[in-house]
Amino acid sequence: MSVMGQAAVPGARFVDPAVLARIGNLELVSRSVVDGFINGLHKAPYYGASVDFAEHRGYVPGDDVRRMDWRLWARTDRYYVKEYEAESNANFSVLLDISKSMDYASEGSVTKLDYARMLAGCLTYLVHQQRDRVGLVTFDNAIVEHVPPSAKHMDVVLHTLERVKPGRPGDLRPPLRQLAEHFGRRGVLVVISDFYEEPEAVVEAIAPLRFRGNDIIVFQVLDRAELEFGFGEASAFEDLESGEQLPVVPEAFREQYLSLVRAHLDALSKRFSETRVDYALVNTSQPLDHALFRYLSMRGRSMKSR
Amino acid sequence: MSLLTPLFLLGLAGLALPILIHLTQRERRQVVKFPSLMFVRRIPYQSVRRRSIRNWLLLMVRLAALALVVFAFARPFFTGGDLGASVTGAREVVILLDRSYSMGYADRWDRAAAAAREVIDDLEAADRATIVLFASSAEIALRSTAERDRLLGALDVAAPGGGATRYAPALKVAAGVLGESSLPRREVVLISDFQRGGWRGEEGARLPAGATLTPVRIDGGDGPNLTATSVSLSRSTFSDQERVAVTASFVNRGTEPVPPRAVTLEVDGRVIGTAQVEADEAGAPSVTFDPFTVTGRTMRGTVRLADDALAADNVFHFVITPSEPVRVALVQRAAGPGADPYLAQALAIGDEPRFETTVRTPEALSDQDLARASVVLLVDAPVSTALARRLEAFVARGGGLMLATGPRSSWPDDVDLLPGVLAEPVDRTSGVAARVGAIEFAHPLFEPFRAPRSGDFTAARFYGYRSITAAPEADVLARFDAGSPALLERRAGQGRVLLWASTLDMSWSDLPLRPVYLPFVHRAMLHLSSYREPATWRTVGDVLDSTSAGDRVEAGLVALTPSGGRLSLDEEGAAVFELTEQGFYEIRVPQAPDAETQVTAANVDPAEADLTAMEPQELIAAALAVPSAEADAAASAELSPETREGSQRLWWFLLLAGVILLGIDTLVSNRLSRA
Repeated sequence: MSVMGQAAVPGARFVDPAVLARIGNLELVSRSVVDGFINGLHKAPYYGASVDFAEHRGYVPGDDVRRMDWRLWARTDRYYVKEYEAESNANFSVLLDISKSMDYASEGSVTKLDYARMLAGCLTYLVHQQRDRVGLVTFDNAIVEHVPPSAKHMDVVLHTLERVKPGRPGDLRPPLRQLAEHFGRRGVLVVISDFYEEPEAVVEAIAPLRFRGNDIIVFQVLDRAELEFGFGEASAFEDLESGEQLPVVPEAFREQYLSLVRAHLDALSKRFSETRVDYALVNTSQPLDHALFRYLSMRGRSMKSR
Repeated sequence: MSLLTPLFLLGLAGLALPILIHLTQRERRQVVKFPSLMFVRRIPYQSVRRRSIRNWLLLMVRLAALALVVFAFARPFFTGGDLGASVTGAREVVILLDRSYSMGYADRWDRAAAAAREVIDDLEAADRATIVLFASSAEIALRSTAERDRLLGALDVAAPGGGATRYAPALKVAAGVLGESSLPRREVVLISDFQRGGWRGEEGARLPAGATLTPVRIDGGDGPNLTATSVSLSRSTFSDQERVAVTASFVNRGTEPVPPRAVTLEVDGRVIGTAQVEADEAGAPSVTFDPFTVTGRTMRGTVRLADDALAADNVFHFVITPSEPVRVALVQRAAGPGADPYLAQALAIGDEPRFETTVRTPEALSDQDLARASVVLLVDAPVSTALARRLEAFVARGGGLMLATGPRSSWPDDVDLLPGVLAEPVDRTSGVAARVGAIEFAHPLFEPFRAPRSGDFTAARFYGYRSITAAPEADVLARFDAGSPALLERRAGQGRVLLWASTLDMSWSDLPLRPVYLPFVHRAMLHLSSYREPATWRTVGDVLDSTSAGDRVEAGLVALTPSGGRLSLDEEGAAVFELTEQGFYEIRVPQAPDAETQVTAANVDPAEADLTAMEPQELIAAALAVPSAEADAAASAELSPETREGSQRLWWFLLLAGVILLGIDTLVSNRLSRA
């Protein structure tokens, strides 16, 4: 994986130029208008200071006198202030699950956590180029690190991604409930996790993030071994999170396991679409750019169809 | 067969190890880390084939090997009994049959007698048996005989007595019988309820080497058992008549509460009081009866509980005698109202016992006064030679004399009775007053003052005293600080003489104002009169000294036992006998039917009512133990080293078998793994 030029930006190794070449011509556009200060691609719902004039309105005490239109006063002898339509950036935050179960890699592949870091890095870089504000939250069963969204936080986000270590056993609900209260300003939230919880519990944990008008994009990162269960020898399987061991005979288990996983993924997909959350399953054995491209093109289509 | 180190048997728990290893480890040879077992957990586990034990033979071999090794470490050995069985020949059997009163509990005695009969029935023609009946002492009922009928007959007449259990005397008797026997097999059968109270450690009771001791335990019945343990008499005087209130104490030795039961007080065979008594588990209630007047010279009292499983401890006998005062003849210069009040006041106080004081001047002291008095107290009075001679005779008969000296005291030189020679008075009115120090607290007179804060003699100040030169045979019990004797004692004939170097009134000291004055005077009077608290009862097993009945020994005393037997006490001068029965013993003079009868109440030992049993093994271990000094001799003489070793050699075979099995296990498992 190459680094963006030779820039000494820690974490920049996740921003694969090949990936960016594929997704750079796509626009990750927020689904709704987000308030902000800097001009951008997003439509702001409020009038503010901008270059695009909107209208005049009568002066009311308290308005900034610098925004008063003196020419109009000279003509009409009445006080008017100029209103501009503001173009602003969006808040973009990645919510990255760093629980113990993410620290898994089958032979010859990167761990799910590494893959998720690359994904988060790519997306952050992409939206940063759009001059959106970028932030990051890492969590396991509680919030571990929190980088608030800011236009200047690209480096911090990449630093933080660099430092991430797999933590405690995961639990989506407590950290996400806390975050739902925190993300008051509307924006785009990307949740990356392996979602080893009941579909209902996952949706219950994530749905509150939408209540304040955020757009949610969910990536489920799974290893090939988890999706195909290609083990041969009967062994004791140890749960990475709880340390519990169970005797497993793979040939006897595979069929049932696959059907359970399939049912789980289907249920997640269905429940997310019901709650208008964008959901994508990412297999760590597939190239990252390929997965991103597939998803973003899908997302672009959904934006255009709106 | 017993085990030398039975704790090693805990190692048998190790048998679970191979099974546990089999069931757990085989399934977990390889551990695969997996992100989450969320889905795996939902799949029912069905590989029963792996859990089942495939090679039963291998497992059994391993378990057996482990068990044998553990058992070998526990060191099994054959006890004497096992070994004795290997010796052949005729037997010398000693049957020790417990006849303490606790064997009367429920049907214990019947079962004990049946067990003894069984032993007799098992005798071969050449065997001999001895029956020893024991309680606190042991008695051979029938010595070493092969006649079965006589043995059974001796058993039939035996019955539980009133004694308490003591194993050591019985074992010593058995050891004696076995020691005299020439038969090759020597056995002791101990039939008892094995009360804990009967064994106080080793007590030197050892059976000869090679003998065996077989315990036959007769127990059962843990119902309520209320025991009368003691009575206390509270005396009072009412219109010049002495009255006594009896308080009886009980203890529930059983493990269950005792429901209310009737208890009666009998005096001279007449029921004069009834009450109810109940007790909690291990409770100790008491009952106080209404007071009654002491009329006779000796009254026989009995507290009787309604019967329970153990009858012997439901009765408590005691003797009530009118309290006897200590008679003191107080001799001082002026009798009557002018006399010094302190001594008379001090002697007027006290109930147990009372002091009966007669005040006389030296001239007025008659022979009759001396005959009545047990103590003569002479206070600062000159003594004539005639009076001194009479006092000498009085002391020789057993009377007590105390001389409290003062400025006017004198004693004739030709009568050698005093413990010292009186010299000139010492005046300590100027300077520092004298004080008493160097007290012989070991002496009975000062014994109550021995403990700290039990009376301080040094607080008393003495302004004058007579210096005394102690006689060679006198004991100096206290000295003044200057070293001069303050109190001296001398034995003369059967009596005692005390010489106090100062006055007992206020003329020479302030002792009468000190707290120690009253107890000091009382102790001195009791000591001189040889006062002893009359025993209201005794315990079966006690030895009664009939010389306490005075000089009537020579008259040919007869003791009547409660069961009506007669013991002649003057034969070969035996004036001492052991109380063996519960009830009233009478000592009387047959030639003089009008003479007063001395009555002694005998009660069973209340400790025997505690039926807590001990482990017979403890007793066996002590009785069969060979002291180290004798061990070598006994080993060479009685048990050959081969025999001794043979009794403990089993562990070696067990270990060998275990090792062989482990070898087989290795072979089999190798073959199986190759296959």
